[in-house]
Amino acid sequence: MMENQGNAIIEIQNVSKVYRSRGALFGVRAKDVVALRQVSLKIYKGEIFGLVGESGSGKTTVGRLIVGLEEITSGEIFLDQENVTGLKGKALKAFRRKVQMIFQDPYQSLNPQRSVLDTVSEPLSIHRVGRSADRKEMAHKVLKSVGLSPPEAFFYRYPHRLSGGQRQRVAIARAMVLNPEFVIADEPTSMLDASISAQIFNILLKMRSTFHVTQMFITHSLAAARYLCDRIAVIYRGQVMEVGSGETIIRNPRHPYTQALIDALPKFKGSGEIKQYGTLLIEEREVNGEPMGCPFYPRCTVAEIRCEREIPGLRMLEEGHYVACFNV
Amino acid sequence: MALLEVEDLCIDYKTKNGYLKAVDGVSFSLERGASLGFVGESGCGKTTIGMGLMGMLPPNGVVRRGRILFEGEDLLRVSAEEMRRVRWRKIAMIFQAAMNALNPVQRVGEQVAEAMLVHNPSLGKEKALKAVEELFELVGLQTDRIRDYPHQYSGGMKQRAIIAMSLACRPSLIIADEPTTALDVIVQDQILAEIRALQKEFNIGIIFISHDISIVADMCHDIGIMYAGQLVEYGPREDVFDSPAHPYTRALLSSFPTLTGKRTDLVPIAGETPDLVHPPEGCRFYDRCQEQIPACREKVSRWVAISPGHKALCCRCEMDGR
Amino acid sequence: MAEETFRTETKGMERYPGLTAFLEGWGIFRQSLLGKIGLVLLIMFALMALCSYIPPLIDPMYNPMTGVDPVITCSTGPSRAHWLGTDFMGRDILSQLLAGARVAFMVGVSAAFMSIVLGTAIGMTAGYMGRFMDTFLMRLADMIMVMPTLLVVLILAAVFGQLNIWTIVLIIALFRWPGVSRIIRGQTLSLKQRPFIEAAKVAGASHVRIIFRHIMPNVLPLAFLFMTFRVTSAIIIEAALAFLGFGDPGTVSWGMMLQWVWKTGHMFKAPYWLLPPGICISLITLSFYMLGRAMDEVLDPRLRKEDQTD
Ligand SMILES: Nc1ncnc2c1ncn2[C@@H]1O[C@H](COP(=O)(O)OP(=O)(O)O)[C@@H](O)[C@H]1O
Ligand SMILES: Nc1ncnc2c1ncn2[C@@H]1O[C@H](COP(=O)(O)OP(=O)(O)O)[C@@H](O)[C@H]1O
Ligand code: SF4
Ligand SMILES: [Mg+2]
Ligand SMILES: [Mg+2]
Repeated sequence: MMENQGNAIIEIQNVSKVYRSRGALFGVRAKDVVALRQVSLKIYKGEIFGLVGESGSGKTTVGRLIVGLEEITSGEIFLDQENVTGLKGKALKAFRRKVQMIFQDPYQSLNPQRSVLDTVSEPLSIHRVGRSADRKEMAHKVLKSVGLSPPEAFFYRYPHRLSGGQRQRVAIARAMVLNPEFVIADEPTSMLDASISAQIFNILLKMRSTFHVTQMFITHSLAAARYLCDRIAVIYRGQVMEVGSGETIIRNPRHPYTQALIDALPKFKGSGEIKQYGTLLIEEREVNGEPMGCPFYPRCTVAEIRCEREIPGLRMLEEGHYVACFNV
Repeated sequence: MALLEVEDLCIDYKTKNGYLKAVDGVSFSLERGASLGFVGESGCGKTTIGMGLMGMLPPNGVVRRGRILFEGEDLLRVSAEEMRRVRWRKIAMIFQAAMNALNPVQRVGEQVAEAMLVHNPSLGKEKALKAVEELFELVGLQTDRIRDYPHQYSGGMKQRAIIAMSLACRPSLIIADEPTTALDVIVQDQILAEIRALQKEFNIGIIFISHDISIVADMCHDIGIMYAGQLVEYGPREDVFDSPAHPYTRALLSSFPTLTGKRTDLVPIAGETPDLVHPPEGCRFYDRCQEQIPACREKVSRWVAISPGHKALCCRCEMDGR
Repeated sequence: MAEETFRTETKGMERYPGLTAFLEGWGIFRQSLLGKIGLVLLIMFALMALCSYIPPLIDPMYNPMTGVDPVITCSTGPSRAHWLGTDFMGRDILSQLLAGARVAFMVGVSAAFMSIVLGTAIGMTAGYMGRFMDTFLMRLADMIMVMPTLLVVLILAAVFGQLNIWTIVLIIALFRWPGVSRIIRGQTLSLKQRPFIEAAKVAGASHVRIIFRHIMPNVLPLAFLFMTFRVTSAIIIEAALAFLGFGDPGTVSWGMMLQWVWKTGHMFKAPYWLLPPGICISLITLSFYMLGRAMDEVLDPRLRKEDQTD
């Protein structure tokens, strides 16, 4: 496991998530989906932690498990050393003051029938923070900090009168208004244009520097993760493949999958700087029976025999750099 | 003679607020077997250009003026019948999110064959299916998946099938509108490699549309940067990338996170794109431009040659050039 | 951005979001011919209902129920004292017609309102709670839905004797909620999956809060739309009941008037008596229907006419 530093704000231990298929319609039972398998991560106070992977790799599931939108199948989650797995009632409500989430699609994550002020001040009224005037004041402050100014001009607007970037700012404001300790941003820019994305990135950075919010930034783009994150975890088919500092993951990736990811990036400009690794098989390798080994085995050029049978665990290569591969 | 020459193309959409000038005064040319990429934020008119070239504008779209010379023939003057002959046989388009448009209840192979038969009915079903097999091999799909349904395909495979469809009549020009936007990087890389290889093999001209400047730079020799319906910079990729002339291009580049080079601060472009129903008189980027001078707002920008083949539509460049 | 260009500018009205939304909706509504006709007709009927208070003030003989013209003993055609004529015992038809409008509004709107409230509450509960609650409520809805309302009311009337008008309203409401509740349930099911509900959950919102603050505002427009259609059916049911002789004998409704025409054998003899209530029933149901269709357009963005060629 990772080093026992005391300042981990969020720690998830051996978390697995299986989506059970419901309803056996016409007797055909869909297979259960193993979205996460034995995932362990530590997120330290004050950092922005990047979770990178392609679609369907389980990134959103990690976020939803942490905020308790999804029931955990096995494993445990800790917030400030306190077990917060499967909280209910009052404890859950208290937990939600501290942990917030920004959703992927700003066109879906705001209630179309509620104004910006309603949306942003709702968490305050749920947790009975301040009185109505105070709440307005706080909403004003947080809207300003996400760059919606003057805030009064946005108070009574409805989502359909906001652009995508503005909506995502409102969503960020809603997550930040309670002054949480930890915020998960689930691909907050995947629906936005490049120039708007940069605005959102910079707001997230500002949230860290001014409010000292620890963040988990979920993305499919290594470049975005490099820009924002102190540490990056690469996840593939529900398993963590590599964890390390941002520079390590990009300059010195050791896992064949991370290397394949870097190979695949379009890199016209200054392509000399980046090494090509060639660790991706052109055609997938057949796996006999149930897949039970390394998730990357079917595509890996450097696989060994035991890769097919055993799951490689995360091993520490050097301080803070972990890789789940037998061959490193 | 160039394969495609577009001169002063203007396309409007009729809306309830007036005419929306989605494409305004765009000119470019493309040689046989060459590749040209259009980059710009969403809503800048990239798809509209593609649709205009295909003669497939929505009912409220009109070509206000311009010429589209394809193999020496002005596509805006030919009859609808003639256009139908050119479309798909000579110019094919890979639509944005086309992979989601596959008919879910028909086998993929049959859909490709059908697309072929529509344009070449004399072929016969047998032969068409045979040809589909060849196409599948061409785009790197296993031929034993021909009889599968779309839901049995992954996103990348569907996109390959769409590319196979566009290749069915061996066109000399393919317009690819964000062909990899919904795909993961690894699959995207494979598809792009496939397109590059096919382009070389059949000497196809490609117009590649994307909002992602790095992909376009990877794919195309020439790049056109679009902003609010206008082409604002045009030139070989090296020039546009290494010495961007238009402030918008510079802003776009510096708002994009990269993997290489120093980890510099991203500079977002403040503000929003202008209303295209009543576009500004002068430079359309004026409000958001960091390098604006008063002249930008007043007079209509003109094209300025930066270096051979590299030009920009900017007052500032005009001043500096003098 | 795409949506930017289609915004209607309503500067300075930011503070009155309800008003802005209303004006936007009105803009679309106005383009619908059906809606305009429906609205004009409805305003007409509303005026009629308001005017129903006037005749009895002029002269007690214009009281629609009890006022009898002392000099007339059988049904007569239009005259100066009775613009639409009188019924078999000399009551003024115009006054009855006006009173009928009032009753139609009362019955239609209150029955519809009650059934919508019931249907919305049940639909939201079923959709949001899911599982057992959903199954139970929807089975109940199915059972009630397959019962023909008119027949049930007839049976009840036969069992309990004459029904009071409010009882009729209540029965209509109790039997007409399942359709609405199904629609609202479907809407709730899809809303429940939407990220903004999850966002509210993450913020710590309780179920009650989610139902009332987040789901209800999104289903209410639909519920109101259905209300207009329900008004139509409530008016028709009441008219049919009255015509068949099971109405409230103490109330003058259009159905009641038709029944009197029928019972006294004036069906083919007194068009001045038969036609007005008949036409009014058709027109008022039609107008609510047209209004509903136009509101449907306002609410459903997919139906919005894209600004194509004129
Ligand atoms: N509610 C669900 N029911 C069943 N399977 C699900 C559900 N949500 C996600 N999955 C599956 O779990 C896997 C991980 O999904 P997700 O966490 O959304 O991935 P990502 O966010 O990385 O794209 C995918 O294979 C997806 O199909
Ligand atoms: N059918 C249409 N009717 C009216 N406006 C349209 C239509 N299609 C596109 N537009 C507008 O034209 C502009 C260009 O659109 P488009 O070519 O789709 O841009 P891109 O492909 O670069 O995102 C946008 O402002 C868009 O809102
Ligand atoms: S464990 Fe084996 S299969 Fe997996 S990445 Fe390493 S070498 Fe490849
Ligand atoms: Mg996701
Ligand atoms: Mg487009």
